[in-house]
Amino acid sequence: MLKLLLKKQLTEIFRNYFYDPKKNRVRSRAGTIGYILLFVILMVGILGGMFTALCLTLCAPLSAAGMDWLYFALMGLLAILLGTFGSVFNTFSSLYLARDNDLMLSLPVPVNALMASRLLTVYLMGVMYSIVVILPAVVVYWITVAASAGAIFGCLLLMLLISVFILTLSCALGWVVAKISLKLKNKSFITVIASLAFFGGYYFFYFKAQALIRDLLANAAGYAAKIKGTAYPLYLFGKVGIGDGAAMLIVSAVVFALFAVVWVLISRSFLKIATSSGKTEKRVYKEKTTKPKSISGALLRKEFRRFLSSPVYMLNCGLGTLLLPIAGAALVWKGGTIISVLNGVFGARAGCTPLILCAIICVLASMNDMATPSVSLEGKTFWLAQSLPVTPWQVLRAKLTMQLLLTGAPVLICFVCLPLIYPYTTPEMLVTVFVLLSYVLFSALFDLFLGLKTANLTWTNETTPIKQSVGAVFAMLSGFAYTILLCVGFMLLGGWKLGFTGYMALFGGVTLALCALLRLWLRKKGCNRFASL
Amino acid sequence: MLKIEHLTKTYGEKKAVDDLNLHIAPGEIYGFIGHNGAGKTTTLRSVVGIAQFDRGEILINGKSVKTEPLACKREIAYIPDNPDLYDYMTGIKYLNFIADVFRVSAADRQTRIRKYAGLFELTADLAQPIAAYSHGMKQKLAIISAWLHQPKLIIMDEPFVGLDPKASHLLKAMMREVCDAGGAIFFSTHVLEVAEKLCDKVAIIKGGKLIRSGTMEDVKGDDSLEEVFLELEGGSC
Repeated sequence: MLKLLLKKQLTEIFRNYFYDPKKNRVRSRAGTIGYILLFVILMVGILGGMFTALCLTLCAPLSAAGMDWLYFALMGLLAILLGTFGSVFNTFSSLYLARDNDLMLSLPVPVNALMASRLLTVYLMGVMYSIVVILPAVVVYWITVAASAGAIFGCLLLMLLISVFILTLSCALGWVVAKISLKLKNKSFITVIASLAFFGGYYFFYFKAQALIRDLLANAAGYAAKIKGTAYPLYLFGKVGIGDGAAMLIVSAVVFALFAVVWVLISRSFLKIATSSGKTEKRVYKEKTTKPKSISGALLRKEFRRFLSSPVYMLNCGLGTLLLPIAGAALVWKGGTIISVLNGVFGARAGCTPLILCAIICVLASMNDMATPSVSLEGKTFWLAQSLPVTPWQVLRAKLTMQLLLTGAPVLICFVCLPLIYPYTTPEMLVTVFVLLSYVLFSALFDLFLGLKTANLTWTNETTPIKQSVGAVFAMLSGFAYTILLCVGFMLLGGWKLGFTGYMALFGGVTLALCALLRLWLRKKGCNRFASL
Repeated sequence: MLKIEHLTKTYGEKKAVDDLNLHIAPGEIYGFIGHNGAGKTTTLRSVVGIAQFDRGEILINGKSVKTEPLACKREIAYIPDNPDLYDYMTGIKYLNFIADVFRVSAADRQTRIRKYAGLFELTADLAQPIAAYSHGMKQKLAIISAWLHQPKLIIMDEPFVGLDPKASHLLKAMMREVCDAGGAIFFSTHVLEVAEKLCDKVAIIKGGKLIRSGTMEDVKGDDSLEEVFLELEGGSC
């Protein structure tokens, strides 16, 4: 039974890798391999690359000081943070809100088997995020220090224990979210606020951790002694990586015992939570006259309602809307420090500081990609978009407009803060806003393009199109790629020769040209594709 | 009102609908019957523009579904076999959304919502999110939304599934009202007794091909529709 359920779950998660929705048939073997390879390269190449660099900095000095365990403890903690961050928001919806929960519970399926299959998704998400930290850490250690039998076994066990611990934390937090959710009325907003508080805490800790790492390298011996004295479990945790027998036994026992406790906790309440509709206020309709809206207005409101109805959608695809004004405020508050740091690093070349400021705004804007899952999120209601007297372009334009509004307005708020901290000339201001707005347009068009290319209307859990699709990953990475290109083009590929104004005007112009191409594709092929989904 | 000419739709190697011809005149309630997988839903989905067909032509009041899809869609309403509506909207917001798309005036939508929601006893629940609705309530909401813009042609796929007896009775009366006002109804059903009592004309489809059509009397003669259907299907109970 469990095998059957796991197969169903895996089929759902990896459906797009094996099935081409455009051609309505199974992908060729080469196509599947290509798709998987591309995903692996993106994850390993970009995220993995970042952490490999960090491992190379830490591994040799800590090992030379005889503190290999500290290296594994630090990288393990980072992996746990990233893994939990990546999967915690997934747990609640995967476990308790799956659309086929009712069907599955009506079948002679043991609840434990159903839970296990649901948690597979959470586990895989945790593994996916944590592996980009811990795998480079392990490989770097084997290459630069030792690849003895003990180290190999210890590292493999450490990776397993980290993945199980992430699952345990995600389950526990998901259970807490579920319990709270049952008692709340305005679930969407409260879930978003609670999640944002978690995000805030996470980033605070993350940035503190970065500073701590730097400090640790300078005072490694002192800190090692302190950890041994006050955080002994962390010491043991690190010792697992170097193959210490006692540490491996103790940490394994603790991790699996914690998982067992959480498993018992959630299995006892699973049925109650999964079948409960929660507290809903019975609102009685009172007739009132409604002002008619245009078709475009009605479609746009529909998109906004969809966006605001789902915490998962808001948190995964609309974080930029919140972070951009915060970044603007941070620029005003800490502007002097930021500018002096940027001038210190890039001051030798004119134009680098305003370029980096623009790039920061682009990166934050790239956190908005609501247009990508919006196509798949039509799901079973897609018949409405097809049978109502609206053109595919009207529907697509509404999705596009939502992203443009939710990204464009906060970008402009952030932009108006820039002249308060940096002495821009008028032409510099104009080209900066030109690049920013053309990027906002480009990212919305490109995200919608990805949404159409990777559309999947047959999901049973909305996190599948929002978080687990190839389109969502590409949307996120394309924003980073654009920003890197913006900076690399100026600093390394000779863009500086044009001067800041000339380079930005050229870059914005090229972006607009790409926008024109994308819009052309969306108007013609995109609309046809949407109509024939 | 509706002309289906030589409609052919293929899924891979399989012909779901094969050279189908049907003409539905104003004032007619046209029933469409056939076993599961016979091609009923594919035909209905082709008429409303959801399924792209391979060959043939579908005309609604002389306008082609292929070349003038929007003009055709403005004149029709469609209720699918499973009313998957926007769960994140309340009933009233959904009705207003549909009214906006069909450009129904504020006064007309208010009058019609009051009338039909009242008839289906759904008024009090209109402020509730659709996610909280039962299957039957969703079906009622889908029916109200279909009647909201006073379409000339209503296409329905198994409209009675999930409705309570009172709502079924009401729907039948509403269907007759539409036809008396010069409109037309084309619907599929497995409930042969309903088809026999309600329809002016009936079409029987098997394996994608139309095997019999015409007035109820022409099709069934002195037998019951069930007997004729089973005989044509070549099966017995």
